[in-house]
Amino acid sequence: MVHKYAKPRGYKARQLIVRARNLRSGANFIPPRSFRARRFYFSNEENGLLHVPKDQAPNPQAQMFSDPNMAMDMMKKNLSMIIPQTLTFAWVNFFFSGFVAAKIPFPLTQRFRSMLQNGIDLSTVDVSYVSSRSWYFLNLFGLRGLFSLILGEDNATDDTQRMMQMSGFGFDPTKSLGAEKDSLDIVQHDWALPKFEQRAEAVLRKVLS
Amino acid sequence: MVSKTEETQLSNLETQVDNGGGGAWEYLCLVRKLKVRRSDRVLKHGLSILNDLKKRSSLGPDEWTLYEQVAVAAMDCQSLEVAKDCIKVLRKKFPESKRVGRLEGMLLEAKGAWAEAEKAYSSLLEDNPLDQVIHKRRVAMAKGQGNVSVAIEWLNKYLEIFMADHDAWRELAEIYVSLQMYKQAAFCYEELILSQPMVPLYHLAYADVLYTLGGLENLQNAKKYYASTIDLTGGKNTRALFGVCLCSSAIGQIAKGRNKDDKESPELQSLAATALEREYKQKASDKLSLLTAALKGLKVSS
Repeated sequence: MVHKYAKPRGYKARQLIVRARNLRSGANFIPPRSFRARRFYFSNEENGLLHVPKDQAPNPQAQMFSDPNMAMDMMKKNLSMIIPQTLTFAWVNFFFSGFVAAKIPFPLTQRFRSMLQNGIDLSTVDVSYVSSRSWYFLNLFGLRGLFSLILGEDNATDDTQRMMQMSGFGFDPTKSLGAEKDSLDIVQHDWALPKFEQRAEAVLRKVLS
Repeated sequence: MVSKTEETQLSNLETQVDNGGGGAWEYLCLVRKLKVRRSDRVLKHGLSILNDLKKRSSLGPDEWTLYEQVAVAAMDCQSLEVAKDCIKVLRKKFPESKRVGRLEGMLLEAKGAWAEAEKAYSSLLEDNPLDQVIHKRRVAMAKGQGNVSVAIEWLNKYLEIFMADHDAWRELAEIYVSLQMYKQAAFCYEELILSQPMVPLYHLAYADVLYTLGGLENLQNAKKYYASTIDLTGGKNTRALFGVCLCSSAIGQIAKGRNKDDKESPELQSLAATALEREYKQKASDKLSLLTAALKGLKVSS
């Protein structure tokens, strides 16, 4: 809850975007002069609401560097993931390469060979035999759901969630303000109201007949 | 917006509860969900639940919601003692809550202690400058004291941040109209039309403002917006029909001296006039003579 209230500027930017979007979609319903006045108000180069001065726009990369703790944290988490996995992989690869670890109780087509028989380069082996290296990979990716069930939602083995957090990290209002300004600039104003007189006539005729 | 089915549901429940048929809690929930103002009933039935220990404890955590609802209703009915008791209970349960702080501010307001209420609200706003309800309470307070210009000031400040809140735009428009500041009101109505282009009432209000402003261009625009209202309501809006007639007559008077190069569609007003006549014939035949006299005065009668 706290973060929602912490940024009045971000909130204002979001409201501004909604209003600008309304202006874009409803532009044809207000007189041309009103539309032009509004567009000027939103997007003029001096003090328009949507205009963001170049030097003020915060760079996400710069933001990352300004907060070294965050970068360190992320690196640590990544390292703690990567090192044990590389070690296990090396271990499995060294001791069990070329072994058959399991057999699937049903036949499969040749297309599955690359998936199930990683590390065995023999085309004559039946596809339902699973090589040890493939077994390792299958477990690594397939057991993620099970791990999250047993170990709780955010455990160290699950890095997909962190990826999601990364991509949604920090809604950047300045960027969408700029985009909104660009699309507002190219709107062609075509006043819809003159057409409405004819439509009203048609409606009344229909009512009266 | 309350839809028709919800309205019938509400009135059914209302009669059932009023006749002692039970379902008071469901009724209160519905009132809360639809945000309708039934303060006297909420106070009566809410209190009867709150005073009944068994019923109250069966609500579980919803009990506190009910306390809040009853407190607000009590303030609306000027039963300040009840409101005070409710707020006291809530304060005991939630000692740090901002929401209870808001209720306390409202209680001060209900007592008429404007200055203290103002102080309470501004201290709450310092903690959280984005509390929409408190901003709106401030506007309402200024309006309640008759300081319309202060209300406008607050509203404008509010709209600077929450500029997508169309209800606030509507309130501002109505205040401007009441002060006869039509240009500003026209701006607000344009904003409303932008946010909801398919609501005929905004078109109608905007047309009214334009017609009141006068001048050839405004009159022509007003006529267009009356026309759009007719289109959006399927010709059922009497005010829009009258508006078209009045606009055409006024435009005719202004443009009499000039050459008529911009072609006005002459058919619309005669169609509107016929539609009006038909409406009157069906629904108020005794007033038909008044209508024909008025239309004749406007010279739009066919």
